[in-house]
Formats: sequence, C-alpha cells, structure tokens
Amino acid sequence: MNILKVISALMNYPSQELQQNADALVAEIKQAKEIPPESRENLIALVDSTCRRDIMDVQEEYGQLFDKGSSLSLLLFEHVHGDSRERGQAMVDLMALYEANGFDIAVRELPDFIPLYLEYLAQRPDIEAREGLADVGHIFGVLAARLQERKYPHFALFEALLIISGVEINAEELKEAAATETRDDSMEAMDKIWEEEQVTFMANQQSGGDGSSSGCSVPSQNPTKAREEPAVPLHWVSNDQAIDATQKK
Amino acid sequence: MSHFLDRLQFFKKKQSEFSDGHGEVTNENRAWEDSYRSRWQYDKIVRSTHGVNCTGSCSWKIYVKNGLITWETQQTDYPRTRPDLPNHEPRGCPRGASYSWYTYSANRIKYPKIRKPLLKLWREARRTMEPVDAWGSIVEDQTKAVSYKSKRGMGGFIRSSWDEVNELIAAANVYTVKNYGPDRVIGFSPIPAMSMVSYAAGARYLSLIGGVCLSFYDWYCDLPPSSPMTWGEQTDVPESADWYNSNYIIAWGSNVPQTRTPDAHFFTEVRYKGTKTVSITPDYAEVSKLTDQWLNPKQGTDAALAMAFGHVILREFHLENPSEYFTDYARKYTDMPMLVMLEDYKDGAMKSTRFIRASDLDNNLGQDNNPDWKTVAIDETSGDIVAPNGTIGFRWGEDGQWNLKECEGGAGKETKLQLTFAKGDDTETADVGFPYFGGQEHEYFNNNDQDDVQVRRIPVRELTLADGSTVKVATVYDLMMGNYGLDRGLGGSNVASSFDDDVPYTPAWQERITGVSREKVIQVAREFADTAHKTNGRSMIIVGAGMNHWYHMDMNYRGLMNMLIMCGCVGQSGGGWAHYVGQEKLRPQTGWQPLAFGLDWSKPPRHMNGTSFFYNHSSQWRHEKMDTKDVLSPLANKDDFPEHMIDWNVRAERMGWLPSAPQLNSNPLEVVKAAEAAGKDPKDYLVEQLKSGEIKFACEEPDNSDNFPRNMFIWRSNLLGSSGKGHEYFLKYLLGTKNGVMNEDIGTTGGTLPNEVEWVKDAPTGKVDLVTTLDFRMSSTCMYSDIVLPTATWYEKNDLNTSDMHPFIHPLTAAVDPAWEARSDWEIYKGIAKEFSKVAEGVLGVEKDIVTIPLLHDTAGELGQAFDVKDWKKGECELIPGKTAPNMVVVERDYPNTYKKFTSIGPLLAEAGNGGKGIAWDTKDEIALLSELNHTVLDEGISEGQPVLESAIDAAEMILTLAPETNGSVAVKAWDALSKFTGIDHTHLAKQKQEEKIRFRDVVSQPRKIISSPTWSGLEDEHVSYNACYTNVHELIPWRTLTGRQQYYQDHPWMQAFGEQFVSYRPPIDTKTIKPIMNQKSNGNKEIALNWITPHQKWGIHSTYTDNLIMQTLSRGGPIIWMSEVDAKKVDLEDNDWVEVFNINGAITCRVVVSQRVNEGMTMMYHAQERILNIPGSETTGTRGGHHNSVTRVVLKPTHMIGGYAQQSYGFNYYGTVGCNRDEFVVVRKMNKVDWLDGPTGDDVPQPLPTEV
Repeated sequence: MNILKVISALMNYPSQELQQNADALVAEIKQAKEIPPESRENLIALVDSTCRRDIMDVQEEYGQLFDKGSSLSLLLFEHVHGDSRERGQAMVDLMALYEANGFDIAVRELPDFIPLYLEYLAQRPDIEAREGLADVGHIFGVLAARLQERKYPHFALFEALLIISGVEINAEELKEAAATETRDDSMEAMDKIWEEEQVTFMANQQSGGDGSSSGCSVPSQNPTKAREEPAVPLHWVSNDQAIDATQKK
Repeated sequence: MSHFLDRLQFFKKKQSEFSDGHGEVTNENRAWEDSYRSRWQYDKIVRSTHGVNCTGSCSWKIYVKNGLITWETQQTDYPRTRPDLPNHEPRGCPRGASYSWYTYSANRIKYPKIRKPLLKLWREARRTMEPVDAWGSIVEDQTKAVSYKSKRGMGGFIRSSWDEVNELIAAANVYTVKNYGPDRVIGFSPIPAMSMVSYAAGARYLSLIGGVCLSFYDWYCDLPPSSPMTWGEQTDVPESADWYNSNYIIAWGSNVPQTRTPDAHFFTEVRYKGTKTVSITPDYAEVSKLTDQWLNPKQGTDAALAMAFGHVILREFHLENPSEYFTDYARKYTDMPMLVMLEDYKDGAMKSTRFIRASDLDNNLGQDNNPDWKTVAIDETSGDIVAPNGTIGFRWGEDGQWNLKECEGGAGKETKLQLTFAKGDDTETADVGFPYFGGQEHEYFNNNDQDDVQVRRIPVRELTLADGSTVKVATVYDLMMGNYGLDRGLGGSNVASSFDDDVPYTPAWQERITGVSREKVIQVAREFADTAHKTNGRSMIIVGAGMNHWYHMDMNYRGLMNMLIMCGCVGQSGGGWAHYVGQEKLRPQTGWQPLAFGLDWSKPPRHMNGTSFFYNHSSQWRHEKMDTKDVLSPLANKDDFPEHMIDWNVRAERMGWLPSAPQLNSNPLEVVKAAEAAGKDPKDYLVEQLKSGEIKFACEEPDNSDNFPRNMFIWRSNLLGSSGKGHEYFLKYLLGTKNGVMNEDIGTTGGTLPNEVEWVKDAPTGKVDLVTTLDFRMSSTCMYSDIVLPTATWYEKNDLNTSDMHPFIHPLTAAVDPAWEARSDWEIYKGIAKEFSKVAEGVLGVEKDIVTIPLLHDTAGELGQAFDVKDWKKGECELIPGKTAPNMVVVERDYPNTYKKFTSIGPLLAEAGNGGKGIAWDTKDEIALLSELNHTVLDEGISEGQPVLESAIDAAEMILTLAPETNGSVAVKAWDALSKFTGIDHTHLAKQKQEEKIRFRDVVSQPRKIISSPTWSGLEDEHVSYNACYTNVHELIPWRTLTGRQQYYQDHPWMQAFGEQFVSYRPPIDTKTIKPIMNQKSNGNKEIALNWITPHQKWGIHSTYTDNLIMQTLSRGGPIIWMSEVDAKKVDLEDNDWVEVFNINGAITCRVVVSQRVNEGMTMMYHAQERILNIPGSETTGTRGGHHNSVTRVVLKPTHMIGGYAQQSYGFNYYGTVGCNRDEFVVVRKMNKVDWLDGPTGDDVPQPLPTEV
C-alpha cells in the first residue's frame, strides 16, 4: 500500500531529500484511493508545510513535537507499555515478526518506531497491513487528537492511518479528551499501567485466540483515584514558547 | 512510485544466503523455543553497572534479546569474604533497578543536536569559508554572537550529523587555541572512578591540546579540606564491610539506608553482634529510625556538639584516667608532642603561632636538609630537644628517615616524646588567648555569649633560639587541653572543672547552641571513648557531606576527626573516619592518570580548581556580600588582610598556591613566540614580563574579553543542573541568557570593590562561545548547551568502575550497541580529536605552550614558604618560579598529530616512568606488555611502533596494566619505591600477589579485588578489611603532613589569621540574601525565612533518575521541598501547596511536603531535581523557576587557598576552595498563580492515555 510509504516518509524526520520529493509525494497522495478526498487534502497541506518551508524551521518544529517527551512519541510501545518491563519483550516480539517476514532493520531505530512499522506494513498484503494498523488504531486516534488539539497539520497522518485501518473511534470524544485530559498521568495511572497484561503484536498469528488476548489492549476502566487530593501532573517543561507562539495561529 | 518512495528507508530485505553461499538463512519453525523464552526470554546476560555519582558500583545483570535490552537484575557472584564477615551481595537499589528505562526513554538524546540559530549561522558561514574562519566570523561579530547565546535554554534544537558537529567543535577549538590560547578551552567532568575511561576520553583530548580540566570534588563541596589539613590525605576511608568490625558507630549527618543503600546491610548486621549505633541528624532522617539512639542538634551547629564530646573524652580518658592506649597513640601518631611558639598578644596574654622548626635552633639541631620543615619535640628520657623522624623535611632531599619509628632524625637515637610540660605545682605557665566565635550573633541561630578571646593558663617552657633570643613554647597537647577549656588545676579563667559549667566547650555550654541535652552528650562521648579504649580503637564515625557544606565546614569535620584521633581509632580495623562522598576512590589512579592527562606524550597537564574558576568567571565575585573582616580571628590584625575574597584568591594564584586557568592575560603560545623572538628562555622571559606587569594573570582581569573561558565541554555531568552553585549567575554571565538574578553587583550597591582585580563597570555577559555537552538524557545542562552529543548509556559501553565502599574493580560492558546515533564518550572524543587534527592543518602546527603549575602536594614543591606569606608582586620577595610563584614549563603541542597521539600510548612513559603520591617507578615492562596486548601502531607517523589505543578496552587495559592496584608486579615496584623514603621494607604487602594481573575480561567475568598499593593508606588482604591510615599506623609510614603525624594543630599564617589553628565552634555566616527581598515583592501571602538544606535523596542519585518516571511515581512527581508543620502553619501552607522559594540570587517554584520529620527553621530540597519537569513560572523573577542552586552563590574561604605548605598544597581535587552553600537562607511563600508559561492552554504536557478508545 503506497500511501503507507508516503505517510511513513512524512512522519520521519524531515530531510532535504524529502523536500525535493514533494511533488512525488503529492502525486502519490492524489492517487491514494484508500482515503477520502478530505484526508488527501489534509495530507497535501502537510506536504506543503513540510516541504515548502525552510528546512531548519521544519526540523526544529519536528524536534519539538516528536523528539522530546512521551505524549507525542512515535514509539508505539511508549504509549502501550510506558516504562514497564514488558516494553523490551514487546520490541523483541515485533522484531521477530519483521524477521519472520524477511526484513532486517537496517537503521539505528527501534522496531516500534511508527514510520518504520508503516514501511513494513506497506510491504505486506493490504489485508494484513490494515490489520496491523487496526492493532494500534487507538494510539493513532490519541496522537491525531493531540496534534489536532495543538493545531499541527501532522494530525492528517494519523487521521489517514485510522481511516485505512477501518477502526471506528469516536473522534469527538477523543478530541474532547485531549482538550481536557485530567492531568493525572503519572501517579495512579502509571500504577495501573504496571498491572496490565502483556500486549503482543502477533494477535493475527496466534492460533486459538479467544479474542480476549488478541491485539493491543488498554485498561478499560478509569484508574481509580487513591486519594481525594489533586494528583501531581507530569509536566515536561517546554522552553520553546517563543517558537510555539508563532506556530499556533 | 518515485525512487524515493520505492526504496526501503528502514529495512533491508533479509538475505537468504551469505558467505558466498556457504551459509543459508532458513525459516524453519522454531516455535518450540517459545516455551523456553516467550515470557522471560533473552539471548545473553551481560555484566554492567551504573556510572553515576553514588559510590555503589553494584554488579548488575543486563538481559539482552535480539540486540535490545529487556531488563536488569542484581548480580550475586561477588567473591566471598572471609569467615564471620557477611558477603557483599546483593548490591543495588531501586534507582539502579530502573536504569534500563533510560535506554529507550522519550527523554533519551538520540542524535547530535545543535540549537537552530547557531546552526543557521554556521551553515551560512561555511558556505563561503573554511571551518576556522567560519567560526571566527560568528563569534567575533557581536550581533551574531548575541543572537545565538541569548537563545540558550530556550529549546530549538535541530538534528545534525556527527560530521557536522565534529567539524564545528574542532573549528571552535582550533580558533580559540590559535587566537586566545589553549587554556581557554575548558572541560568539566566529575568522578572518574565511575566510568574512568569515559572521563579519560575527554580529559585526554583536552590535555593533548593544552586545554584545562576543572576539578569537581572541591566544587561539589564534597572535598573536606579538613582531611588534607589533618592527614595530608584527600579522603581515605574504610570500606563498608569494615563497619562490621566496629563496636560503636556514630552516623553523623549520614543517611546510610537512603544514600548508601547497597552497603546499609553491614550497618544493620553489626548490631546483631552487639555494636551500638547512634545517629546525629537535625531531622528525623531514615538513619535515625535505624539506630539505637538519636541526637538532633540544630542544623549547622555540629561543631559545638563535637567540641563538647571532645571535652568529655579529654577529661575522662586523657586527664583523669588516662587510657594507656590513647596516650601511647597520641605520642606516636599525632602532633601532640610537637612544640609551638607563643608570642605576646596583649594585656599580658600570649597567642600560639607556628611550630618550632629545627632551623630555629642552634646549628639547625644537626639537620642540614630542609631544617625549615622539621618540627621539634622534647625527648622525655633525655630531656633533649629532638627533630623526630617523619616530618616533611625528611621526605624530600634525603632517604630513609621519613618514617614514624620512635627515633630522632640525627643519629637515630630512640626517643619517647614528651606530651606535656605540666608537672604539678612546679608547672611554669603562660596565659594564652584562644579565639572564641560561639558568641557571635546570628538572627536565626542561638549563641552563647562569652569573651571573644578566651584567655587560659597553659603549661609552657622557655627555649633559646639560634639567634640567642628566648621564646616560650608549649606542646600541642597542652594547648589542646586549653583549647577544649579543660581545667587542669593551673588556675586562670575560662576553664571548666565540671561538665555543668557554662564555659566553652562543656556539655552544658553547648546546650543553648545545639539544643541537645548535656546528659546525652556525656553518655555518648563516654561510650564512644570507652569502647575505643577497650577495643584499641574500634569506634567509628560515618559522616555525611552535608556537614561539610557549611562555610565553616572544617570545624564540623575537625571536631569529629579529633574525637577519633583522641581515641586512637584512625588506622584501626573497625574504627576511624568514614566519609563516603564524591571522590569515590579511583583505585587504579596511577594507571589512569597517564591515559587521562596524556602523560604518555607530554606533561604537565593543565588543571584548574573548579570553585575558584566558577567564582571568578561566572562573575559571582561581582555580587560578593561578605567582607573577610567578618570572619577573621579576633586575635588577627584585620588591617593586614584584604577584604574581598577574590583578592585572596588572586594572591594565592600569583604565589603559586592555586592553579590558574585561563592562565595569563595573553595566549601562552604567543608568550613563547615572543620570548623566542626576543632571544630569551621562555621561563626567564615570562618572569620578566610578570615582574614588569606587562603580562598579568588572567584572574586579575576576568572581564577582559581576552580572558574568557571560550569553549566548554561538559560530559558525565549535569553542571548547570545539579552542581552549578550560583546557577542564575552562570546563566547571566557565562551563558548570556535569560536568568533570575535579583540583585545588582557591588559596583551599584556600593559594596567593597576588590583591589587585585580590574573593575569593569558594565560586566560582560555570554563569555563562553561554545558549550558542548555529552549526555544520554536531556538534562538541564543539555538544555543550556549549544551542542548536545548523544552518548552511550551505561549498558552500551565498555568501561571501569571502582568505589570506596568495596574493594572490587568492576566493568561497565556494552550489552548492546549504542541506540540511535549514540556513541561512547571514548568514540566521541576520538572523533573530535580526528577532526581537530584535520582542521588544525595549516592553522596550527607544532607549537610551544608555556604552562604554569602551582606548588604541588606530594612533590618537593610543597616546601614553599615555610614562615611568612610573601607576595612577589608587592615586592616582598623575589619571583622564583616553583617557590614564590607558579612553576613554568614549556610543553610542545603537535596539533595536527593530536589524533595519532590520542589513539596510541606515547613514548614518555617508557622514558620517564610512572608514579603517584610522591613516588615513582620504572614502567618499561608494562609498556612492553601493552605493546603485546594491544599490538602496536603500523601506520607511519609519530605513533608508529607505539601500543595501540583505539578502543575503550585498549584504554582499560592501559589503566589496568600500569596501576599497582591491578598489576602485582607494579605494586611490588611501588612499595619498593616507597621503602626508599621510609627506610622500612614494605614490599611484603604485595609480594604474594606479584604475578597477579587483572585484565578487562577478568573483571567482566567477575568483579576482582584490588591489590594493596602505596597510593592508598589501607590494605586489601585476607586478614583485614580496607581501612584508611592502616599503613600509617601499622607500617609506620608518615602521614603526608608537616609534622608527618595527624595534626590537631594548623600553623600556617592564614590559618592563624582565621583563628583556626585548633578546632572550635563557628556559627553559620550571614549570606545577606534575605533582607533586601523579604516582604518587598509581596503577592499577598505570608513569607517565612528558612535555612536552605539540600541533602541527598531517595528517588535519584543527584539529578540522575529524577526524570525517570518510575522514580517520579515513587516520589511526588516534580520538585518538592520539605518543611516542618510548625513553619507551615505560620505561613498558612498545607501539604502539596505550590510555593515559591527565593532570595536575591534567584527563585524556585515547587510543591511543599509538610512533615513532622523536619525541624523548625529549615527547609530541605533534595539535591538535585531537574529544571525540565514540573517547573512553573516564578512570580518574583518573571521567568521559569529554577532549581536548588538558583538561590545559592558561592562564598570562598581563604584558608582553602593556602598552598606550598606541606599538606596544605594544591593537588587536583585534593585541596582548594570549596563551593559551600548550607549557610544560605530562603524566603518561602505560597504561590497565587501557577503559570506554566507555555502557550494558550497553559498546558501542553504529556497526557495520560485515554483509557477507552
């Protein structure tokens, strides 16, 4: 599925080469039948924003968004396992999946880096690619909502992936959640995350799956509050406000 | 699809065949393996540890699967200890157990990065210019320079490539060396013991180009200057296993279970043997819960408590029922028998001044070698005055009598030194004044008002000097009894016969100051001494560095050291002084030094003491509030001394006491060129120029742009986060960026201006052109750097660790390759060295660099000015390099060959040998061995035929092969070399291990116990646990002090000036940072002033791990302070409120923990919490709140600047000014508005994952 390759390229760190290939990207987007016209327009807007501005500005913006902190991390397991021990094992499993299908990672990246995962899926049969996307659809949903809330055109990438995956999500609810997320992350929520079961990416390979252990799951309950007092939010200090202000129109 | 999209960016297709078809990739079903591996699967376990400043050096198993780290667990295969001693393992703590988090954390630095404004300027300039010119065009253009410097700390990093950053760094270095001098390239990295190869990488690069390594131990204020003063030893301590040999342990300000977690078990286990443990902490710390008894003196008054302990011990175990063991120990191993000169003070009272020397006496007392440096005593048997063996004068210039045998140094006659001149009613006495500081008033500390000169009656005797005059002299023993205020039945005032007298320094006297009841003081002192008396010294004090962070730290420390020496505990198993802070014992030090400082190619290296450097160059001196006169002795003539602290420091540098860097006000390469042009010897030329004033020291003009420290490397450190005392001043002056300084400099406020330093009205800001930081995580320091380089984590590199807590040498091993673009420190500096050599071509050639070297400890240079302090600049003496001024040495720098030198072991080692701590040995055999182990360089050039030094493992082998601790035959050579000095054969201490050679692969398979070496004062063997000063006591090797013994008495003129010949209690100083701001910028909430205490924490090791989400979860998330319920109530604070903590130095924003644990009057902020997490804006500064160092500013103490005086001589991380900060006060108040300063929503933080999708 070529569109995945396009999305992967746009999601990776912007380079001169990417900028030079803007037209090819646009052409490919226009041909993509997997996504509706509106999505195509959003992606083309992102191509314009990424490829037709000063490369350093684009890189700086990318760094601010994706190179720091975990809320917009492009590592899938950051969102699934956080800091738990399962993360290492999950990466190992994912790498085994690549290998089983004949791919070795050729760059110094982790196996759960989304652009890399997308490149892998782009090489797989469509149905498998869609399943692969659906496995992590909820993460795309959250990332799309956060980017949209912060008014960055990159939300188009995740929106498109959601559509391709066919996962139904309540976009409004997510957006609302992203806007008003209770700043309650590290304490109780993290305790909860530590309790959760191991998540594998081989749901579709497992035989005899009864559904309960398949795919990527997250706790279905809100973490219960231990105390009445307001929990301390984790707040990664951003000193980029000068630049942020100009970006956020 | 276009080619760009067609090509695989991240993957390569798996090949089905390899090795020309000899191998084949199969895809058979290996599902059977899953049952073994699906849950806890791994391919290999690798041994590594953590290179963090924690003294742990614990063994961990790192589990690796498919090149990914999955988790870590504790190793349990330490070599066994001997019977009846518990084993070491398992070692580790929750912090270390969470380390693997960093490897793949969102906060990991993955790529080399440069801040955008600088990168833009660089790329623009590089389009048309060569690298060096390009750099010059940026930094010499004021507008351009300001444009990127002012953005420091404000994000905006862009990924670069290794090629690009290396070229930029090399260009900056070459430009700076060429135009300003190599001594303007500065590096800071701490604690080499923890990953010593990584430290050495940067230090080697800097040393080869003539750059400067800054010391850290003194800057961190973990160096107790009291240790060099008393023992001539930086810090040497018992290993933690020796706690188990103790019979009485006081944990004084040391929170053992919290900060020495892996060792705490020995502390617990020994209680099962019946050992009593006592804790002394102002707050109810974790250690207080663990011990049998808790004493809680008010913070900062520990010296008063120690004085009272000493008073009791001297009364009951020296005067009234003298312990034979204590008396014998005092005679043989302390300065107590030495004679001190008394001079008239006023009103019939005298004062004690310096030690009598052999040169004071007729015919030099038969001592022709260094008679100025031989102290004297009376032989009790013959009644003769003798110059006993072992004083420092015997160490240099002669052989065989530098030992502690009970002999005099002439004919070698046996002696029994006399301790006291008291002989009942016939005692001849004099009234001697002792300075008393305990009466000084302080708004927040209680005083005990008494005469500020305490005149006491002391037994004396008259002595005729060589010139025929007579003087009164007293023994240190007798003066010491007077100093502690003990009534000996000689009459006179200010002495106590009862513990209940309110006379300094009785148990009753200290009550008002410390708040501890006299009964507890008497009880603990008695038990402590009685145990030592019965067990020959098995009483121990574990001391925490918090006590060393007060301005008058030496009083706290000397107070308790004296207790140990009085009781004969030092140098005995299970006894002594256990200070586990900061330095962490780089055990194979003498093997490491040549690697780190490039001594295999050239020497000497350039070193600088960190505290003086930062005080000077971050312009903290421009905000000095303290006048020296406030802290001088009441017996000193205050007009004789400068007022501003920097004046003292400048004088110390000029006289060669302290090092200088940047060094002179001109480029040292140019100095040599000018000398050669004038046809003169560079050294003579420089002396001439200095005398004429044509050339000055850089420290005399720190605000002249020629003297800025232009380039800075920071690695293995969070200098601007954890350890930048006066943080806001760093930001303002060194970096030139946004800061929270809230006071004007002394030029504006009308403070005392210095005399020795040129005053510039408008202080320059942004002195540093390039800050390069190597780290694996985005620390506060990285945020403020221009270039951030991604380093390997501790599971991704090969290196070595040692610790003072246990005797094992331990590896860090690369379990996996560094993730993303990260490289090990060794590889990074190798890369920079390579690029430097390339860029230097055509700009710098073979240059001559003149290096100034202070009078160093453990060299003959430590015999500087024996009596008065004379400054050549004031015409008081000749400028003699190496005697009254720094030494000057010309060093050749072959700049284009820097890389070749970096990657090979140079010829100088085989030619000149190796050594340390004053002894030297031949090292040809070891170089030959290294040539075979590492192979030799085959490429043509200067390194051809030299041993290879390409990889970190090569470097590790160099350390291990050269060091006596890891190479038995070197140990034998080293002991043999020492035997020549002492005249006693010590080689038996290593002979049985002569053939043992520890190599890198050995320690990878199991941590190895090191071999005993003369670099250290303890032994590592099958019979005793390592304990400091063990060889001094048991092998009769002198302490490296003036008297060769443990010194209660310090006689340098500057020690006299500050009234610190003996220990006493000195209250905290007033830093004057509260009054101008308290209640001045009100937000309507109540304000309270509290003492600012920054102890070590539970959820991090300094700042490492504090940004780790697991630790954040265990803590409260984000920075916090602790305060008492009482204080909280006064200002309407509740637990978890947001508060602002501020004074005129800056402001902090954080939450408050209200706890019964904390005592009234102080607030604690754990050291160190990062600036990158949960820091809202400050209401007072208008910028983001800072961290614990934002409210501090360094204040120097001149006694730490003394040099060229036996034990008080400079050594890197051995002696020098220290960065104290505990006397600081802050205002605490509730915040009205928590403003995150980041965008319209006020919050774009990482949010929790919605739990339903």
